[in-house]
Amino acid sequence: MRYLILIAAVLAAGIGLSSPYQLQLLTFVGINTLLAVGLNMLMGYAGQISLGHAAFYGLGAYTTGVLTVHYQWSPWSALAAAIVLTVICAFLIALPLLSLSGFYLGMGTLGFGMIGFVVFRQWSSLTGGDSGLVGIPALEIGPLSFSSPRSYFFLVWAFAVLSIFLCERLIDSRIGRALRAIHDSERAASSMGIDTGRLKVHIFVLSALLAAVGGFLYAHLVSFISPSSFDFLVSVRMVTMVVIGGMASIWGALLGATLMTILPETLTVFHEYEMIVYGLIMIVIMILLPQGLFRGVLDIYEHARKKPGRTSAGSRG
Amino acid sequence: MNTPGRSPDGLPPVLGVDSVSKSFGGIQALNDISFEVLPGDIHALIGPNGAGKTTLLNLITGNFPADSGRVTFDGAGLNGRKPFERVSLGIARTFQNIELFGSMSVLENVLVGRHVKTGCGFFGAMARFSRVVKEERDARSKALELLEFVGLSEAASWRGTELPFGWQRFLEIARALATEPKILLLDEPASGLNPVETASLAELLEKIRNSGITLLLVEHDMNLVMKISDRVLVLNHGMKLAEGTPCEVQANEAVISAYLGREQAGKACCASAS
Amino acid sequence: MQELLQYLFSGITNGAVYAVIALGFSMLYSSTGLINFAHGEFVMVGALSLISLWKGLKIPLPAAFAVSVAVTAAAGLLLERLALRNVRKPHPIVLVIITVGASILIRGIAMLVWGKDSHSSPSYSSHPPIDIAGATLLPQSLWIIALTLLLVLGLHVFYKRFLTGRAMLATAINKKAAAVVGIRTDTMVLLAFAMSAGMGGIGGALIAPLSMSSFDMGMILGLKGFCAAMIGGLSSSWGAVFGGLLLGILEAMGVGFLSSGLKDASAFVLLLLILYFRPTGLFGKAVVQRF
Repeated sequence: MRYLILIAAVLAAGIGLSSPYQLQLLTFVGINTLLAVGLNMLMGYAGQISLGHAAFYGLGAYTTGVLTVHYQWSPWSALAAAIVLTVICAFLIALPLLSLSGFYLGMGTLGFGMIGFVVFRQWSSLTGGDSGLVGIPALEIGPLSFSSPRSYFFLVWAFAVLSIFLCERLIDSRIGRALRAIHDSERAASSMGIDTGRLKVHIFVLSALLAAVGGFLYAHLVSFISPSSFDFLVSVRMVTMVVIGGMASIWGALLGATLMTILPETLTVFHEYEMIVYGLIMIVIMILLPQGLFRGVLDIYEHARKKPGRTSAGSRG
Repeated sequence: MNTPGRSPDGLPPVLGVDSVSKSFGGIQALNDISFEVLPGDIHALIGPNGAGKTTLLNLITGNFPADSGRVTFDGAGLNGRKPFERVSLGIARTFQNIELFGSMSVLENVLVGRHVKTGCGFFGAMARFSRVVKEERDARSKALELLEFVGLSEAASWRGTELPFGWQRFLEIARALATEPKILLLDEPASGLNPVETASLAELLEKIRNSGITLLLVEHDMNLVMKISDRVLVLNHGMKLAEGTPCEVQANEAVISAYLGREQAGKACCASAS
Repeated sequence: MQELLQYLFSGITNGAVYAVIALGFSMLYSSTGLINFAHGEFVMVGALSLISLWKGLKIPLPAAFAVSVAVTAAAGLLLERLALRNVRKPHPIVLVIITVGASILIRGIAMLVWGKDSHSSPSYSSHPPIDIAGATLLPQSLWIIALTLLLVLGLHVFYKRFLTGRAMLATAINKKAAAVVGIRTDTMVLLAFAMSAGMGGIGGALIAPLSMSSFDMGMILGLKGFCAAMIGGLSSSWGAVFGGLLLGILEAMGVGFLSSGLKDASAFVLLLLILYFRPTGLFGKAVVQRF
C-alpha cells in the first residue's frame, strides 16, 4: 500500500543519494510535510483557514533555539517545552477566534501570525532580532548523533511518516468522522451532538503542534534561524502546499509539500525569472485544477478510464 | 390507532412547551405557544407556511433562545443548552432540506449519529486501544442494525448522496435514531416523497414509536398526519389555532378555513381502515 | 505638546496613504467579494513607476502620476481578465491562492524591471518643511492629504452622480439583479478591479517621496492597508478612510510614546481588537460570509 511505497522511497533516497544538497532538500520536504499535514487537518477536514501558521512554526524553532543556546537545555527537553508552549498559545488564540465565522477566523490568524513575526524580530535580547539566532546544536539520542545529512534525513522522515500515520488514524475514527461531518454540514454535525466549537479548537491546536515540531526539526537542521523564515509569505506557502496538493487528503498534503519545496529549487534555472515562473505556476494550477493536484490527477485518470459509450443505466428517458 | 386523551400510564410529558414566544426583527414568529408531548405519542405540528412550525422546532433543538417562556424535556428545563448538548439528553431531529454528510458513505452517515454514544478521543483514535477498537466495532454493528431497521441495509457502502431521494430521507432518520433519542423531531419528512414512499414512511414512523421513541413531526401531508398521529397541534401566524386528536382538529371550523379546506375536512377520519 | 503634534502630523500622513490603500481593498471587496492579496503589489508598482517616469525619464509630475496610475489600473485589468475570469470553481481559498500567485508574479516582474535596489523620489514640491508650533510638517504631507481628500470626494461624486458609478454600486449590492436590469456586470467587475488597482497605484505614488521604494515594499503596505479596511469595515468606503487614518495615527503614537519596535505590530493588534469586539468593523454592516 501507500505506506510501503513511501517508506521504500524514503529508504531508497536516504541510502541511495549521497549529495548533501539533495539529502537536505528532501529533508526540507519532510519538514514541510509535517507542516502541510497538520494544516491540512485544519483546512481540509475542519474547514478552517490559517494565514498565520508560520508563527507556530517559528515558535517551535525559537523555543528550542533560545532554550538550547541561551540556557543550555537538552534539545529534547526543549522540544517538550516547545510543544507545551505552542499548545497553550494555540488554545489561547483559537478559543476566541473560533467563535467567529471562517472568514474572520482567517483574518484573525493573519493578525496573530504577523504579531508573532514582529515579536520574533523585536525581542532581540532573546531571539537575536533580525540578526537571528546562531549556534543551535545538533540532535542526538544517547550515542546516536544526527549531525550528518543522511541521519537527519531519516530522523525527519521518521517524524513525517509517523505524523501521516497518526493523522490517517485520526481521520478514520470517531473524531475524524466528526471532523468530516463538520466540514460537510456544520449544522447537521451539531444536530448529531458533535461539539463543533471544541473540536475545531482541538484540531487547530493539533495543527499548531505539528507546525511547532516542524520548527524544532528545522532549527536543529540549519543551526541558525532568523525571523524572515517565519513571515507572512511562509504562512502563505504553507496554505498553498495544502491547497495545491489537495485539501482533505493527507497524501495530497505530502504531494503539495514535495512540490512546493522542490519546485523553487528547480526554478533557479530561470534565474531572475524565477519568481515570475513560480507565480505563474501557482495561478495556472489553481485555474486548471482547483481541487488540488492529488484529486485533480485522480479525476483525470478516472475520467480517462470511463470510455465513451458507457452510459449509466436508465439515464435516457 | 388514534388514541385520544392522556398517556394511560400517567407518565409526565416528554416535552413541555410553556408560553413560548419568539420574534425576529418586527415579525412575531411564535406567540405564547404552550403544549405537551406525551411519551409514546406521535404528535403532529401542522399549519400553513409561515405559521412558525420550523421556528418552533429550531427553538426546541436550541438553535436560538425563546424571547419568553420555557421548554422542558423530561421535566427539566432546557435553558441555554446548546443544540449539541440537547442531543445527549435525548432530542434528535431531521431537516426539511436533507442535510446528509456528502463526503461519507451511508454507513458512515449513521455512524456519525453514534457520536454521542461513544467516547473515543484524539489519543484513543491514534493509539487504537482495544477498548476503542471494540467501541468502533459495536458502533458499526449498531449502525448496520439501524440501516436494516429503516430498510437500507443493501446500500450501506453507497455514497449518501447517491441514494434516491426517498432513501435519503430514511437515511437521515436512521442517523438520528443512532443517537438513541427519547424524542425524534422530524421536519416535513414526507416532503418530496411519492405515495408509496409516504406509506413506507408511515410504517417506519409507527415502528419507531412502537420501539419506545416519541415523535414530533411537522408535516403538510394531511393523509399521513391523520393516519398515524395521536395528537395534532395547529399553528397559524405563530399562534395556536387548535389542538386535539386528528378527528377533532379535522372537524375544527377555524382550522378548516385557515388551512385544511372543505375537501380535506370532508374526509371522515375514522372511516380509514384500522 | 510639540511631540504630540509631530506624531499627529506623521500619523495623518501615513494614515492618508493607508486610507487610499484600504479604499482599494474595500471597493474591490464590495464589488466582488474578493480579497486581493496582490493589492500591495499595485502600491509598489505605482511608487516605482512614478520614480521611473518622473525622476528617471523627467516626465512632468502630473503626467507621470497619471501614467503610473494608469499602469497599475492596467495591471489590475490584466489580473482580472487573465487569471480570475477563468477560474472554474471560484472557491474563496482558490481565489486567495491565485491572488497570492499574482503577487509573486508581479513582484518578480518588478524585480526584473527595477532590480533589487531601493529607489528614492523627491517630494512633489521643493518647498521647505513648515514649522507649526515647534512640530515639522512636510509639504509632501499636505500633498498627500489634499490628494487623498480629492480622491475620496471624487469617488463619492462618481458613485452618486454618474450612471457608471451607480451601476457599480448596483452590481456590488446584487449582481444578478443588476444583470437583469441590463447592467453589464462583467464590465463592472473589470472596472472595479481597474479602479481598485489604480487606487493602489495612487497610494504608491503618494508614498514614494516619503521613504525608499523597492520591489518588495508592497507586502507589508498591503497588509496594513488591509487591516485598516477591516478596522473600518470592509464594506464601507468611509470606514476604509477612517480606518486608515486611525491606524496611521495610532501607529505614530505607539512608535512615539511606546516603542518603535511596535510600529509594524500596531496594525495587527488593532485588527485583532476589531475582530474580537466588532468583526464587521467600525462602520461596516453585515459582511457577506465568504469562507
